[in-house]
Amino acid sequence: MPRHGPRPAPERLKRLLVMLPWLMERGEVPIAEMAAHFSITEADATLDLELASMCGLPPFVDEMIDVFIDEGVVYTGIPRVFTKPLRLTAPEGFALLTAGRAAMVLPGAEPEGPLGRALDKLAAALGEDGVVVELERPPLADMVARAALTSSRLDITYWTPARDEANVRQITPRAVFADGGHWYVLADDQRSGSERSFRIDRILDARETGVVDAPRDVRLPDANRWFADDADIERVTLRVPAELLWMIERYPIDSRTPDKRDSAMVTVVMPVVSEQWLERLVLRLGQRASVVAPERWITLAARAARGVLDRYESISRDS
Amino acid sequence: MQYCLYARVRMAEPLERMTNLLALLLETKVPLSLQQIVTELDGQYPVNTQAQRGAFERDKAVLREIGVPIDQMVLAGDRAGQTAYWIDRHRYELAGLDLSDDERRALQMAVAAVRTDETWGREGLLKLGAGGERPSRAVAATVPTFEALPPLREAVANKATVRFGYRDVDRELDPYGLLLRDGYWYVIGHDHAHRQVRTYRVDRIAGKVTVGEAGSFVRPADFDIRAVFPSDPKLLGEPESEITRATVRIDPIRATLVAREVGDDAVVARHPDGSIDVEVPCVNRDAFRSWVLGLTSHAVVVEPADLRAEIVDWLQGVAG
Repeated sequence: MPRHGPRPAPERLKRLLVMLPWLMERGEVPIAEMAAHFSITEADATLDLELASMCGLPPFVDEMIDVFIDEGVVYTGIPRVFTKPLRLTAPEGFALLTAGRAAMVLPGAEPEGPLGRALDKLAAALGEDGVVVELERPPLADMVARAALTSSRLDITYWTPARDEANVRQITPRAVFADGGHWYVLADDQRSGSERSFRIDRILDARETGVVDAPRDVRLPDANRWFADDADIERVTLRVPAELLWMIERYPIDSRTPDKRDSAMVTVVMPVVSEQWLERLVLRLGQRASVVAPERWITLAARAARGVLDRYESISRDS
Repeated sequence: MQYCLYARVRMAEPLERMTNLLALLLETKVPLSLQQIVTELDGQYPVNTQAQRGAFERDKAVLREIGVPIDQMVLAGDRAGQTAYWIDRHRYELAGLDLSDDERRALQMAVAAVRTDETWGREGLLKLGAGGERPSRAVAATVPTFEALPPLREAVANKATVRFGYRDVDRELDPYGLLLRDGYWYVIGHDHAHRQVRTYRVDRIAGKVTVGEAGSFVRPADFDIRAVFPSDPKLLGEPESEITRATVRIDPIRATLVAREVGDDAVVARHPDGSIDVEVPCVNRDAFRSWVLGLTSHAVVVEPADLRAEIVDWLQGVAG
């Protein structure tokens, strides 16, 4: 996306240092093509090149960077300096390697293909580093991913944790993605007529319907907080012993404040997807944690615990 | 000297000056002091000594920020005490990668499909000659990133000892590898204070990671990062402690999902009503309880009696 407004000098310099070797390799290139390649406007590209052409050091003040624009085409002469791009910084190298390694374990990846070869070259240049990326996926993920690639409609049996029940629905998968240790499918849900995310490990069964829908591009939800930013989602205030915080770290949290009177306790405010979800959480947290607000959930843990205890009684009688 | 003829009329833009400074430090055969740099870049730095030093320091900081390796040394002899600067071209240039078009394209697809830090990935791609539109993907993954990760990766590659704060304690670690598992990054290595291999969660590292000298340790040849800790949280715990096996009754509604999670081998009984009994290992009692209570009233511990009693006690505590 081309950006607007004045660009800071470090960003322009960084761009210039990749632009120059790229131009030198080509000799001549339409400015429109260059702007598209670097995701900047033609005006910005022109500004940067004009500036570059003014740079110079004695004794070759006017010829250090030999570049000019004529009729929408950039011409670059015999290079003197900046013939190779600046080495990868640590964050750039890390991002490329991890993205590549993660892509290698996505459904449909070909380990013998060009990505594998590119990663071998990168690892050789950046140093062998023992970085291992695991994105273990549920058995149905590959089938759902194939359906997303072909816009094939599926009948699925889906367990809805919010209602604690399983039911059959028809979906057209659009994209499959992994986030926070889980796999999701973003799909058109025929029942609600809208786009929804489903957790693939909660799909009990999936069958092809034979119906193929028109392809459609989707925007994946933003990383990590993709349900939590919804202001309509209710919040709960919990008081939790500090050593049990590991149980909730996996979920998005609005705020986390240490208790003033008791340093072992922490007050946490977090979004609640459903009452059933909260029920599971407070059962696992145990009696030392408590709901502070809203009022109707203060006794939720006790009620849920009695429900489970009833099951324990009936099952001990059975067996 | 010849370049005096080129005295500039206008003051150079900072960007132009920085580009010239970069070219000068790349081209020079000997380290240059600030005084020499100012002379070479005639008219581009302010005349006032203090303003001159300030402008130079800012330029140097920007160059380092974008990843330019500027070397420096303190001079001796008749210029003793002065600092001189230069850039080693071999450390500056990206070399030896020579990706083919399809390899570049594959990396571009990977960066589009895997969401880490988008800026880092994109900047890296541009240096490798891949640019333009981001291809859209039907299969994608989000990989979390933290500031500590790039320096840790370099430290693993260079065999450099690192120091970082973790749970209010300074740790010193010979990092053997990084592992992304279940959505979390772990750094695994030899902990100096504990004299054993330890695992740390990268998102819990507080503050900066300090990277020491390269080549300060040797990674054991048989080190296997995946084997360092078990993937099943119910198996986390003291390895020497005895593993309890628990039998848990699962309601029909959750039977399929749980059987899939624990594996069909673990299903020890199937009842006429559709419920199943699964046998699961239990080393870490907290993790086991958390798992079984996550199933609420759809799971009941049948055996062993002491584990069942422990869960019942826990529930009675919560029930009040």
